[in-house]
Amino acid sequence: MTNFHRPSSLKRTQQRMAVLFILPALAVYTLFVLYPLAMSLWGSFFIWKGLRMVEFAGLSNFSRLFVFPSGARLYGALWHNTAWFFGIMLFQNGIGLLFAWLLFLRDRRAAFFQSVFFFPAVLSPVIVGALWRLLLAPGGVVEWALNGLGLHQGSLTVLGNSHTALGVLIAVDAWNWMGLPVLIYTAGLRQISGQIFEAAKLDGAGNARMLFSVALPLLMPALGTLTTLSFINTFNQFDIVYVMQGVQGNPSYSTDTLVTYFYRLAFGAEGAVGITDIGLALALGTVLFLILSIGTLLMLRFFDRRTVQL
Amino acid sequence: MSAPAIPYRTFPPRLARLPGWTVLAVWTAAVLLPLYILVVSCFKTTAEIYDNRLGLPQSWAFDNFVRAWTRADLGHNFINSLIVTAGAVILTIVVSAMAAYPLSRYKLGWNAIMLGLFLSGIMLPIRLASVELFTLMRNLGLLDSLTGLILVYSAIRIPFAVFIFANFMRVLPSELDEAARMDGAGEVRILFQIILPMVKPAVSIVAIFTAIAVWNDFFFPLIFIFDDRYKTVPLAISVFVGQFRTDWGLVFASLAISMAPILIMYCLLARQIREGVGAGGGMK
Repeated sequence: MTNFHRPSSLKRTQQRMAVLFILPALAVYTLFVLYPLAMSLWGSFFIWKGLRMVEFAGLSNFSRLFVFPSGARLYGALWHNTAWFFGIMLFQNGIGLLFAWLLFLRDRRAAFFQSVFFFPAVLSPVIVGALWRLLLAPGGVVEWALNGLGLHQGSLTVLGNSHTALGVLIAVDAWNWMGLPVLIYTAGLRQISGQIFEAAKLDGAGNARMLFSVALPLLMPALGTLTTLSFINTFNQFDIVYVMQGVQGNPSYSTDTLVTYFYRLAFGAEGAVGITDIGLALALGTVLFLILSIGTLLMLRFFDRRTVQL
Repeated sequence: MSAPAIPYRTFPPRLARLPGWTVLAVWTAAVLLPLYILVVSCFKTTAEIYDNRLGLPQSWAFDNFVRAWTRADLGHNFINSLIVTAGAVILTIVVSAMAAYPLSRYKLGWNAIMLGLFLSGIMLPIRLASVELFTLMRNLGLLDSLTGLILVYSAIRIPFAVFIFANFMRVLPSELDEAARMDGAGEVRILFQIILPMVKPAVSIVAIFTAIAVWNDFFFPLIFIFDDRYKTVPLAISVFVGQFRTDWGLVFASLAISMAPILIMYCLLARQIREGVGAGGGMK
């Protein structure tokens, strides 16, 4: 016991204990996250036969990915993901700012509304998608309500129409996650000193000026967090599409996303015969990995630079 | 929230505040109305769902719930989801707390590098690794296995959990473990009997967000589970929506059953969840 307390011995014990303590977490994390991810990136440079790596192929998977017939799917999905991201930025993170501001002005009653607004976010996207699929179905309650209000006539087929389906899915996703910007913005607003608003008020700023000219520049960290999270979430979008429109992104691929396309390539639901194309899937995975990492880094830098220090 | 009384807020007359209240009321309705329809539809027959859209059901019959639980075998999926969620939460908490303890409280010389390695996992798009993960799981015999799901979910949640635990443990006074060490307590005892009870808020944040993420996940069961006996709730629901397309009462009841545990947890822990999300956006 006595020599246990000598500093050098303690240090050696600590090094040994540290390794033992970290090992379980590190092993699980490395085996099931780092290793498969690294192997996927590496594997995208190989020719595959089923689930077996055959030979090194350089960039040939990537050149196949961008041309016919894969190119149409890829660019389609890329466009849908991009539209999805901007839709979420506008409808979820934009309207969410308005909600957060209104709640900030009504501080005492904010908690109730925050809890209600956030509730859908704790539900599985599968449940949210299934619920809205029932509500929006032909003969469903939304059709009944719109007909009753005279806003629409006949059968409601927004999910079967390739012009409207993507927009509806984005709206459902925004419904699902609206509580997130509301909570993050209100937390950000509460960190701003009341004196700043007071000074603006004395200068004659109204509520709208106060929000856009005073609060918004100080909310850059919150906006940065939300933009980055929304970017990552939209480019990983899968569940809502799968449950509401099927893995093909129906109708006629109009709601296809990069991850649904990846899933079809990897697990055999692409094309008429439905065979897998692992090389193509891994190449798509690598492209998506690059989009996500570069995009996230750029966004973090962008918002870091625009953060106002007081 | 401990917001101070902020002097700049002069309260405008009631009428001027009406548009703001209206906006908030509209979104509240947009959230609650679909959920209300979900709940009342659970008790209606399919014919009644068509005839009586918004009204209360004629009778509060549990027929749909019984059929969902037994005929559609949701009860089985429910138990699978409970096992996977509990397993993943416990495993994540134990191994992450163990890793975070030396990383945040020992002087090792390699704390920063190791923490960085863990933290890099918070944003990694793990779905893209699902092909290699599938091969790995097959080779380990972990396909069609709840244990396999528990391991994968823990691996995915470990980075966030290590991050939260390390942040909470770092600020505890160093006298805590030093005094215990003087008394001859081993490191395992120091961690589990002294440090961990001191960071209960971290334990609850990790438990809540891991439970939500795991209970709700659909992607990994879709890839790893083929046998009906091992399907989790979201996977079963995704099948029901197509399979029982015309039996709306049954599908509504399945949705209600599958969100019940999360709903109960949310009602009990709404404040912790709000503050946890507001502080770090620690979802997903």
